[in-house]
Amino acid sequence: MRDTVHQIINTVLANRGKKLIDSLNDSMRLRDDIGFDSLDLAELTVRIEAQFNVDIFEKGIISTVGEIFERLK
Amino acid sequence: MNILVTGISKGLGLEITRHLLESGNNIFGISRNQTEELSTLLNTHKNLNWLQYDLADSTNVKTKVFNEFIGNTPLHAFINNAAVAYDDLITNLNDEPLLSMYRVNVFTPMHIVKYCIRNMLLHNTKGSIIHISSISAHTGYKGLAMYASTKGALEAFSKNTAREWGEKGIRSNCLVVGFMETDMSSTLTPEQKNRIFQRTSLKKPVDPRSVAETVSFLTSEKSNSITGQNIFIDNGTI
Repeated sequence: MRDTVHQIINTVLANRGKKLIDSLNDSMRLRDDIGFDSLDLAELTVRIEAQFNVDIFEKGIISTVGEIFERLK
Repeated sequence: MNILVTGISKGLGLEITRHLLESGNNIFGISRNQTEELSTLLNTHKNLNWLQYDLADSTNVKTKVFNEFIGNTPLHAFINNAAVAYDDLITNLNDEPLLSMYRVNVFTPMHIVKYCIRNMLLHNTKGSIIHISSISAHTGYKGLAMYASTKGALEAFSKNTAREWGEKGIRSNCLVVGFMETDMSSTLTPEQKNRIFQRTSLKKPVDPRSVAETVSFLTSEKSNSITGQNIFIDNGTI
């Protein structure tokens, strides 16, 4: 699951021509550390839902990588 | 192209669907019922997929329309055509028919746009969203205030969709259509119709073909710089 989420994050970054990330840790902030803006976050939730069938923003906005895994549990 | 069209069983929706099918598009069509004309179209076009769905139901858009009907197919365009008209004087306004009209004309289409954009993001599609609006939102007509307000809502929603998602190449436009000889205007008397047509430069009903051609243009790459617009197809209403 970790590798898939990492891959998805890099797909979203690549689609906007942003710098990819080499590694993923739970404390990383989606906006400040990874560089996502609101449109990227929308694409992230769509791609994660397509993969895991969970809308990670359905119960409110999340801000860190760790929270993604919390929602996917 | 894969195009989602609502309200395809009659009138303008049927004309748009027929036109898009003839241009070789794959159509995902929605309507409440299947008319004789729609059955004929279904029998003669393999690239027409049909779902019986009532847009008064905004809660099952995700499961019924997107998960079950469209599935993993990348959408290239959405034509929001279906609408109902609640005609009355404002002094007679009733909550129940007002809400029911807003569900069909505004709320459910907004949910469909939500999932269309999500589909387009997933497939990296620079999709085109087209709302069928009405001249009544711009030039008042007695009895159409409530109906016109739903179209005004769609125009504002479309403008903001264009602004919000333009960066992803997703476009949104409205076609502001004048009066046509369809079921929608069948309750009008010949005198009322005549008065309406006299308010246009061309002095006649709008030809649905003209609307269908514009829809086709707006779904194509040829229109890739056009977004956030209201395009008037109204015989030059004065």
